[in-house]
Amino acid sequence: MNLKLAWRNVWRNKTRSLIIMASVAIGLLAGIFVLGLYQGMMRSRVRTVIDTEVAHLQIHHKEFKEDYDPSYTLDQELISKNLKKISEIKSFANRSVTQGMLATTTGTSGVRIYGIQPKEEIEVSQLAFKIKEGEVLNPSKKNGILIGKKLADKMKLKLGSKLVLTFTDRESSVTSGAFRVNGIYQTINTPLDEVIVYINRSTLNEYLGLEDTSHEIAILLHRDEDLELVKNSLQAQFPRYSVMTWKENSPETDLMVGTINQYSTIIIIIIMIALAFGIINTMLMSVIERTREIGMLSALGMNRKKVFALILTETVILTFVGVPVGFILSWFSILYFSKAGIDISPFSEEAMSSFGFTSIIYPEFPVDTMGSVLIIVISTALISAFFPSLKAIRLQPADALRQ
Amino acid sequence: MNTVIDAHQVSKTFNPTTIPILAVNNVHLHLERGEFTALVGPSGSGKTTLLNLLGGLDKPDKGSIFINGVDITKLSPNALIDFRLNNIGFVFQSFNLIPVLTARENVELIMQLQHKDRREINERVETLFREIGLEDKLDTRPAQLSGGQQQRVAVARALASKPQFVLADEPTANLDSKSATNLLDIMAKLNQEENITFIFSTHDVRVIERARRVITLVDGQIHSDTAKVSTEVPHTAQKRTP
Ligand SMILES: Nc1ncnc2c1ncn2[C@@H]1O[C@H](COP(=O)(O)OP(=O)(O)O)[C@@H](O)[C@H]1O
Ligand SMILES: [Mg+2]
Repeated sequence: MNLKLAWRNVWRNKTRSLIIMASVAIGLLAGIFVLGLYQGMMRSRVRTVIDTEVAHLQIHHKEFKEDYDPSYTLDQELISKNLKKISEIKSFANRSVTQGMLATTTGTSGVRIYGIQPKEEIEVSQLAFKIKEGEVLNPSKKNGILIGKKLADKMKLKLGSKLVLTFTDRESSVTSGAFRVNGIYQTINTPLDEVIVYINRSTLNEYLGLEDTSHEIAILLHRDEDLELVKNSLQAQFPRYSVMTWKENSPETDLMVGTINQYSTIIIIIIMIALAFGIINTMLMSVIERTREIGMLSALGMNRKKVFALILTETVILTFVGVPVGFILSWFSILYFSKAGIDISPFSEEAMSSFGFTSIIYPEFPVDTMGSVLIIVISTALISAFFPSLKAIRLQPADALRQ
Repeated sequence: MNTVIDAHQVSKTFNPTTIPILAVNNVHLHLERGEFTALVGPSGSGKTTLLNLLGGLDKPDKGSIFINGVDITKLSPNALIDFRLNNIGFVFQSFNLIPVLTARENVELIMQLQHKDRREINERVETLFREIGLEDKLDTRPAQLSGGQQQRVAVARALASKPQFVLADEPTANLDSKSATNLLDIMAKLNQEENITFIFSTHDVRVIERARRVITLVDGQIHSDTAKVSTEVPHTAQKRTP
């Protein structure tokens, strides 16, 4: 009876109830959509980081990252042999790396120089797809160099331009060499494009005074889930080296993934607080309008628990009719945009790419956070129901009936 | 006969701290089972306040009110609500019914609050609607009923819980004279045939005439209390009107 009464009471003021239900649905749609957007952004950022920047795992000499000393080399033959036996590994690339200075007739710029073997590298960091002008390094052109678009613009370099790289070899003496721009690449992470340049590994090793060796091995896995497993196994096999995951090699990305969930929760809570005010307001109005009627129910012998339950039920109905609608709407809209993508470049291409984000976002339905969204919605309904219900049971029948 | 209401030295003051209004002043009242009593007096004389006190809707400042031997002034708020549910029937002046419930559902609500079983509820609803002559309006919402019909449903609802007595505060005030007479006929019939105890306030002369006992309130005090000798006269309006 209480449920029937509550249901009918909700529909007494159709317009008012529909407005609240629509607000709940739209609020939920907005909240879930923002979550989906964030998640899509994060997912694509993580993909980019893994597939084009730092791979899943990297192996270095334990001290290499401290000062990029060229003498901290890896036993690449042994490592390569072992890596080939691990079925979770998709591909890997040996690199030699050093810090140096790039100079042209017009100026200088600090760079990190990667010595790569183009064939391997293409498999690990999708280098070929990043080339905008010219081509990937050719092992036979010993002095070819690949530079980023950002750096090219800054240093006014073009295809075929000449430049000089200066760096410190393993004997700590400064050496330099002349190079010619063989290709210009561009990624969505512009800060990196300004710093990283690629040359042939054999060339770099020669300048550094090294044999056929490397400082860094980047490993790509078939599946993201195997990350910790492979890391632990490799670390156990090579205790002298450090094996680091993308989370360690790109800590800012890991941090972003962590904080984004908190942001999402905060956004949902803000939306819900706004909704709660609407619901409380509506239900208080509805209770005040029915003062006499509620007083009469109490006079006739409906106890306070039942009166409280009645108003509570009404509020919960009011809130929850909008919930499935909101869920369905958000599911469909996310489904649509997950295919079509949302191009936000007109607003913030610069800002996005300086943080390493693409400007087309493909939202994803935030399955993982749905549980907390539901908990927040339920709490909102119950908290909003509390005050009107309290108001209702505080009515004194004699006073209420005089109205 | 046994006692239904026994009120002693009942007083009620509104706004005791600002402008005190002594709405009910030292009232003694004794009501036996089967009485058909009118509470009369000018507007503001304290009729509603007294009925609210007798019905446990309000607490007196002084005095005691025994209903069927229980001092309701001593009951906790929750116990009082339960007591009202099981012992007192109410008919108010207007807007008696819950608008979103049908006539039947309005009556059933009381019995559901009492946790009566479905079969008993159905039987009682049938009986009550036959008595008020609205068997054909069971599934009608209050808005589709006339004022008189609504008050008859209210009477049926008041009786649904099988109360000790029925309190009616100006039940005919918003009715035309035909509906008022009709409602009084039903109440009088229930009183005579089922021995239901009624106490109702009114200032309608035709209603006062139908009562067998008339208590007059003036300024919250009982001014007169007269039992009529015409108790045994048949109850229909035509025969009672000179
Ligand atoms: N809740 C209240 N607060 C203040 N004064 C009240 C209240 N209820 C009734 N009164 C006053 O008490 C007196 C009796 O009122 P009431 O019992 O309603 O009389 P009646 O029903 O005979 O018209 C009136 O003077 C009225 O103004
Ligand atoms: Mg009154």
